[in-house]
This record gives sequence, structure tokens and C-alpha cells, in this order.
Amino acid sequence: MKTEILGMVLAGGQGSRLGKLTKQIAKPAVPFGGKYRIIDFALSNCANSGITNVGVVTQYQPLILNEHVGDGAPWGLNRHNGGATILQPYSSVDGEKWFKGTAHAIYQNIDYIDQYNPDYVLVLSGDHIYKMDYEKMLNFHKEKAASLTVGVLPVSWDEAPRFGIMNTDLTNRIIEFDEKPAKPKSNLASMGIYIFNWPRLKQYLQDNQSKTRNMLDFGGDVIPAYLDNSEQVFAYAFEDYWKDVGTIESLWEANMEFINPDHDLNIRDTNWRIYSRTPDCPPQFISKTGKVTNSMITDGCYVSGEVEHSILSHNVRVGKGSVVKDSFVMADVVIGENVHIEKAIIGEGARIYDGGQVIGKDKDIAVLGYNEEIGGLTHEE
Amino acid sequence: MRNKIAAILNLVEDSKDLRPLTQNRPVASLPFACRYRLIDFPFSALYNAEVNSAALFISESGHSLYDHIRSGANWGLDSPVGGGVFTHSQIELKTLRAERDEEFNITYFDNHRKYVQKSKADYVLLCGSNMLSNISLNAILQYHQEKNADITAAFKKVSRKALKKDTETFAYYFDGNEDDYLSKMEKMSEVPYEDKTVSLGMNYVIMGKEVFNRYLKKAEEGNSRIDGNTFLRYSLENGDKAYGYEYTGYLKSIEDIPSYFEANMEILEEKNFNALFYRNDPIITRPRHGAPTYYGPNAVVNNALIASDCEIYGKVENSLLYRQTKIREDTEVSCSIIMHGTKIGKNCYLKYVILDKNIKVGDNVHLEGTREKPLVFKKGDTIESGKVIREGSKI
Repeated sequence: MKTEILGMVLAGGQGSRLGKLTKQIAKPAVPFGGKYRIIDFALSNCANSGITNVGVVTQYQPLILNEHVGDGAPWGLNRHNGGATILQPYSSVDGEKWFKGTAHAIYQNIDYIDQYNPDYVLVLSGDHIYKMDYEKMLNFHKEKAASLTVGVLPVSWDEAPRFGIMNTDLTNRIIEFDEKPAKPKSNLASMGIYIFNWPRLKQYLQDNQSKTRNMLDFGGDVIPAYLDNSEQVFAYAFEDYWKDVGTIESLWEANMEFINPDHDLNIRDTNWRIYSRTPDCPPQFISKTGKVTNSMITDGCYVSGEVEHSILSHNVRVGKGSVVKDSFVMADVVIGENVHIEKAIIGEGARIYDGGQVIGKDKDIAVLGYNEEIGGLTHEE
Repeated sequence: MRNKIAAILNLVEDSKDLRPLTQNRPVASLPFACRYRLIDFPFSALYNAEVNSAALFISESGHSLYDHIRSGANWGLDSPVGGGVFTHSQIELKTLRAERDEEFNITYFDNHRKYVQKSKADYVLLCGSNMLSNISLNAILQYHQEKNADITAAFKKVSRKALKKDTETFAYYFDGNEDDYLSKMEKMSEVPYEDKTVSLGMNYVIMGKEVFNRYLKKAEEGNSRIDGNTFLRYSLENGDKAYGYEYTGYLKSIEDIPSYFEANMEILEEKNFNALFYRNDPIITRPRHGAPTYYGPNAVVNNALIASDCEIYGKVENSLLYRQTKIREDTEVSCSIIMHGTKIGKNCYLKYVILDKNIKVGDNVHLEGTREKPLVFKKGDTIESGKVIREGSKI
């Protein structure tokens, strides 16, 4: 079997800055925007870009993530010749194959990649919210006759010291890579999206095994090695909406921005849909006492209270007299009567009983974890 | 688990009183409750009973129906082991020709016989799609077995007046001594139209495969269409053991525009909505990938069922919005059904209206029907800005 380009989505990260929200599930599986999980954006981008063979590398808390990706059917990735494949660490005669870094995860899956004998491998992270046509990036890669193309995002100069910065010449060729530079020379931050010529990358990863064995990460190890060896490495600039929802605040903020119908992501664009695996639930019901303004509501919701500038995911119930404001409520949450939720993220399956309150502030968003319970009568004995 | 029931859906259903909604679609693919089609209800009954194959017989090409059901995978009907949706189109056309051409006739009956034989199931279900319900086939089957019946037919007690005068449905009657022994059936249209409880046959009929084959032969000899109520009539003529299984959930016989409109409105009552959708047995449909629905800053939505991927800037009351509908600012929609992809402009007023799919309504439009006679617009229509249309007198 011959494939031009194979996608490898690195979805093994923990995302520890998301606290409670990534305690039981991996960051790519964290819910977003009412009916999505973060990884849906990378998978949908693959599907929409015509990349139909995608390996999804999972490691940290993979249960929900693996179930979500499954056979890849929601993204049209359940093909006869490939489709989506979940790649997990396994043990073998060489010992256990835990993934010690981004490049190491690719190294451990060489056998999988070789099944498809691809010319190019697209390496993605499953952690970001964006819409990107990888085919355009591939065309750029071919035009430049590159060995490696790195997706870069112009960031503000203040933020630049937090990223891996690519310094380029006038032809967009990368001449220097600065990991979190104190004094950045450019504002082109690496997005963690790479297109490699597969035979060459494979050679780097395999040769290194007999040498220092330090090719663990793309940013820290592989890209510097490529530059040292004068490989043709190019930067492909992406200028649309891109968000790393790495913290509670940024996850909340990204959701609040997402409510805006004129949001840059243009989620209703039927030419570039974001697909997801969603449960089959009845339509949303807004009762006689329900009031919903400036919000996004998903199938299966029942609203008898007031919802303002918020997102309700599947099967959320909001009882009479309750107010949900400036909040992101994940699926299957039950909100009783006279509850007040404001500036908060409510985890899947949480229950807020009558009179309960979950109230956060700017820069200090309140979080209720998955299946947590709060409020209601106090039982005094 | 091995397949227990071979399901035959007779979707050659009378649709003339549902026009223009059925102009380009069979009754089975009529949209219902924001995100479903009528076929989803019998199909979900199959899914919930772990039935893994079905045979469909429909009168026209069935394009819209096949587009919806595809491989049947959503309802678990695509297993490589004994699964499948076996479709037979243009049945009306073929039976008409059958008077001239014996071959079509033979094929029609053979298709049924072969399907049942190949399914390896011990029981056969005959049903249609115009009796909207959420019924448990396992419960009917268990009842059938416990009663040691030859044939078991589901019914619900309703007021005669809940059905239209010239309804095509049947009333069932039971033997005085054993109150679920089905002894007689009668065309509902011949039952006096008064406020009296009747047992409405739901046209969900189960029998063993030997009994099925016997009745099939009889149908073949009489050259009549294969249908639950027809087979029930055979069993009564034969003196076989027929029993009635009483269904107590939500039921609506959808035969014309008023009953279709009523069914949608009734679903806005929480009791009915819960009975149909929040039972243990879910209703399954083909999944779609739309965004959540957006409610604008001045949206006012009360007592409404809304699908995903809509955009609402105006006022929506006692209404159903299907997927991808858009209601612009200062527009008021009440007691109406707005189907998939229909966009309504600014400052409009709509009451008692059914807008089929992909209709464009301009600004400042006034459309007003009545509860008994809602205004119906057909798929793809354009209603120009400023238009005022009223039907009948206001109540």
C-alpha cells in the first residue's frame, strides 16, 4: 500500500495546567464548545484536507480518548485501506515502549508508519483549536523541496519568549531555532505541526538509536539536529485563529469567544465542518419559564431557568429559578432549582443541587470537576 | 444474540392528504420533532429489540428515505452476520403492472418469502411508519409467546374523535370472556364519530414464521398487499388465535396535515415529549454534524423544541425549529413548524404555519394559518418580503 501523506496526531499529553479537568482524561479529550472534544479540530482538519490515514498516539489516561476516536467513523476515517488507528505504548522483546517525547512516539511507531510507505508524515498535536488546510502546507513543502516544514504562527512580541521561535531568512527558510528566547529575534512561534519527508526522518530516528539516543523531542532534539546538518527546513506561516487551551483560564476564554456568531473559527461553515462523535439525544427543550440569550445550546438540553452568555453541552438540565452566566457547562450536568453559576467551567456529569453556587471571577474561573456534586440540603446529624 | 424477528416494513402508505409535504417523499421520511423522520420510530423499535435486519417495501423511488437510512448502521442493521436493510422500491408501480404482468407479482411475494427465510428468525413483524410511537418489540414478543398466540397485534385505547373521520385505520374488538382475545376488526371509518373510547390498531403485528408463510400464500392467491392488518384479518377469518397487546405510551396516527401538525404540537407538552423520547428505549436517528444552536442577545424562546445548528435572534414560542433554521431580529414565530434549512428574515410574524425544508422568507412577511388549517409551504419555496397571507378565520 502506498500513501502520499500520513497524519500522526500526538494525543498523549496530560495538560497538567488544566488541573481537575485532565485528572481522568487526556487534554485532547477535554470537551469544548458544547459538542466537541479538543482533538476533533485536528481530526476534522485531516479529514477536510483529504488526509485519510491518521495514527492517533495516546498514552496518558486514554480511555475516553480512545473511545471517542474509536474507528474514526465520525470523521470519515473508517476506510477500507487505513483510516484512523489508535496507537498506544506496548511491550515487546525490546522492553516497554512508553513514549518519552514527541519524536520518540514517532520512533516507537515506525512499523505502523511503514505499513503505508508514505512520502510525507504530518505530525500534529491534538491539543489545539483551529481550522487549517494541511494540503496547502503540503503544497508549500513540495514547492520548497523541503526536508521539513514547520507550521508557525506569528505571535505578539510580548508572548514570543514563551514559545519555540523560528528565525527565518527571506525565503522562509529556518536558519535558527530558539526555544523560549529571552530576547526573540522573530515572532514566528512553532505550532507543533510538522511535515517531514518520511525516509529522512526515519533515518534520523533510527540512526540515533545506535548513537546518543537523545532524539526524544521534535522541538528540542530533531529540529536542532536538522539545522546542524543543513537540512532544508522551512517555516509555513498560519495566520488564522489558533488557540492553545492549556489552562483553565484559556479554556474558559476560548469557549466564551466561541459563543460569538462572528467568531473567526466560523463553526457553521459547511465547507470545513468540525466533526465529532456525539451521542444521539432529543432536541433541546426550552420550557415556558426558560430564558436563553447570547448562548450556545446543544441537543438533549432542558432549560427552565436563565442562561446568559454561556455554552451548554449535551443533556444539560437547568431547573427553574437558576441562573447560568458566562460559563461553560459540559455534558450531562444536572443543575437544580435556584442555582447560581457564573464565570465557571462545570465538568461532565456534575450535579449542582438546589440553591448551589459555583461562582468564579475574572482570572479565577471556578471549576467543578467531572461528576462532582455540590449544593442541596445539608445533612446534619 | 441470534436474530429473533424478521421485520417487514410496508411503507406503501397513503400520502395524498399530507401533500405538499409528501410531494417528494414517502410518509416514512416525513420530518418530525426537529431532528427525526417517521421511519426512525419503527427503526428504533428494531434497534432496541436488537433486531438486525429489515425489509422495506415502498411505493416510489425512496430516494429521500434511502439517503436517510444509508446502510442502516445507525440502527444496528448492518452487521455482516445476518444483518441488512433490504429495499424494494416502486411497489405501487409494479403491482399495477402485475395485472398485466404475472412476473412482477411473483417477485413481490417471493421477496417477502425469501427475506423471512434468509433472516433465520422464528418470528415476523409487519409494521408501517405512520403510527408514531415508541413501542417495545421485546414486550410484544414476550406477550405473544406467553399467550401462545398465532398472531399478536398492538393497539392503544384512544377516543374515536382523536382520529380523523375518514381514517384508514382499524378498530379492534375483544372477546368478552378473555379480554385480550382479539375477536373482530372493523374499519375505523365505520365506527360512529363520537367521543367514545376505541381500540386503535397500530399495525404492528407479530407472528411465527409458519403462520406468516401460511398467510403469505393466502395473500398471493388473493393478490393483495402484505400488511399487518391484512394478515390479522386472515387470522380472524381462519379462526386462529389472535391477541391484542395494549400499548400505553404516546401514539399518533399521522394521516393528514392536521394530524401531522397536532403531533408536532403535542410533542411540545412535556408529558408527551418524555413519553416518546425519555423512555429507556431511545429514538435513534442519523447523526449530523452541526454546531450547537446560537441564541442571540435579544432572543426570546419559550416552550419550544429546537434542533442543533440553528440561529435565533427573534422570538419563538410553542414552535419547533429543525436543523439549520435561522430566525432574524424582530421576527415572531408561534405555533409553527420550521423545517431544516429554512431562513426567516427580519420583522416577520408567523402563526400556525408549516414551512418545509430550505424555504427563504424575506423581511416583513406576515403568514397566519389556523390550528385546524395551518398554512403549508413546500420545500424550496421563496416568500418575498412584505407578503401577507392569511388562511381561514382567526380563533
